[in-house]
Amino acid sequence: MKRRQPIDAVVVRQLAGYAGLPLAAGREQVIAPTLDAWVADANALSLKMSAEEHQALTPATGFSHPAPENGEH
Amino acid sequence: MARNAREIVSLTLSEAASLVKCGEVSPVELVDASLERIEAVNDTLAAFISVFSKEARQVAKAAEMMALAGHDLGPLHGIPIALKDNIAVRGLRTTAGSKVLANWIPDHDATVAMRLRQAGAILVGKLNMHEFAWGGTSDNPHYGTVRNPWNTERFPAGSSGGAGASVAARACYGAIGTDTGGSIRLPSAINGIVGIRPTYGRVSNHGIIPLAWSMDTAGPMTRTVEDCALMFGTLAGHDPKDPTRARVAVADYSADLRSGVAGLRIGVVPAYFFHHLQPPVLTAVRQAIDTLVAQGAQVTEVDIKHIHGNISAQLTIESAEPSTYHQRWLRERPDDYGEDVRGLLEIGEMLLATHYLQAQRYRSLLRSEFMNAFRRVDVFICPTLPFTATRIGEMKVVIEDGVEEDMLSAIMQFTGVPSLTGLPALNVPCGFDPDGMPIGMQIIGRPFDEATLFRAGAAFQEATDFHRREPDL
Repeated sequence: MKRRQPIDAVVVRQLAGYAGLPLAAGREQVIAPTLDAWVADANALSLKMSAEEHQALTPATGFSHPAPENGEH
Repeated sequence: MARNAREIVSLTLSEAASLVKCGEVSPVELVDASLERIEAVNDTLAAFISVFSKEARQVAKAAEMMALAGHDLGPLHGIPIALKDNIAVRGLRTTAGSKVLANWIPDHDATVAMRLRQAGAILVGKLNMHEFAWGGTSDNPHYGTVRNPWNTERFPAGSSGGAGASVAARACYGAIGTDTGGSIRLPSAINGIVGIRPTYGRVSNHGIIPLAWSMDTAGPMTRTVEDCALMFGTLAGHDPKDPTRARVAVADYSADLRSGVAGLRIGVVPAYFFHHLQPPVLTAVRQAIDTLVAQGAQVTEVDIKHIHGNISAQLTIESAEPSTYHQRWLRERPDDYGEDVRGLLEIGEMLLATHYLQAQRYRSLLRSEFMNAFRRVDVFICPTLPFTATRIGEMKVVIEDGVEEDMLSAIMQFTGVPSLTGLPALNVPCGFDPDGMPIGMQIIGRPFDEATLFRAGAAFQEATDFHRREPDL
């Protein structure tokens, strides 16, 4: 995997712009170190989950239909 | 036999319920004693955001008249309980520990609040918490820093920190907390009490301010396993108002508490759960397992191949989902959030959709591994968290070798596994560190098999006295 660009204040400002999230002055510096660490770990997990052995896995976000209520079909 | 207020609050929930039923203690005495205790400790602990003295006394008088007339209102008849303040109660302010909801008066009851009332419980107050349940310290910038009754310079963990502190301090007989990444189990462990995260879908989330929909649960926090099982039985069950509901039969959770653990197969995962811990925590949990083995349980070592990665998955999901719920408020009134929660909500807007979905795929993988392992074991036992209570205000924790680690990642090291897999998990007090701070073990079970967790926990408490010790406050 290509080496990741570190997440600094500039990147945070861009990401907030994409999300339409107004950031007060100075928030970038507060957020950047934690986001950088979390994205590094999330990328590592994404790499792991992209392995061929996990190709068939579905996310735990599906919903199941409830059993019919009395008289409902 | 006449009891003074201190003796009354020292009764367990089950003892108090039995005494009400036989007329030896009245609901009015229980409520008065609880309110007196809250008055004595709340300035120090900041465990309660709201206390309903007048209303609770009125309900207690009615409950007393019903008892005198021979009417049994249910298993919690006359028992003072408290709710975490993210649980809606009609007509009573519900803040979720936030400034955003500082003046919110719900027009409906959460299902758990309604079920407790139907079982005869009396609400004495709403409990302080980490703001919007998004954090593990309960250092609340709006309603005060919750403190640990075992040492008020230490944190109570969270997010249900007020629940943990109030139950440990004997200010109420039981509380309802909520648990997304560990928020019932962590303050239960850190405050030396019992608490259960139910199977996802077992207890209704209707009327509870969400943190992360796909992992949120609610459950009881009490002083003993017996109390927890009793309270849990009043909460569990299908609720058509909750989309996460499950149509699974509700067991009698108190029925097998004395059945023991002979033949119980305990799974351990030493490579993960016994790795990277403070030494007193490891010692206490190993000794707890030995205690169960001495009663006939068997231990099997299990390898969960893909267990590493769970913290990242937990943080990703627990970031993206709250940030979705809070999206409007974060834009309209960002200054109303505390500094840490504001930052976490901002971060949650900056993760990729693929990060979120890979984390959700990871959950499927991890759950599959645990379900396979449950063919060979009945429960897993591990520490609830790898360290004991830190000093208030610390956002770094030292687990070993003097290395400072981020609090949020470290505190969810072991509680994230049941959260991601939807499995039930019970915290049981199992020791104290050299500073006198409580240690908890986590018993993880099959989906909807909370009864086995209670049976194992009760067997442990039959053989030990950690749950009988109380803080000097």
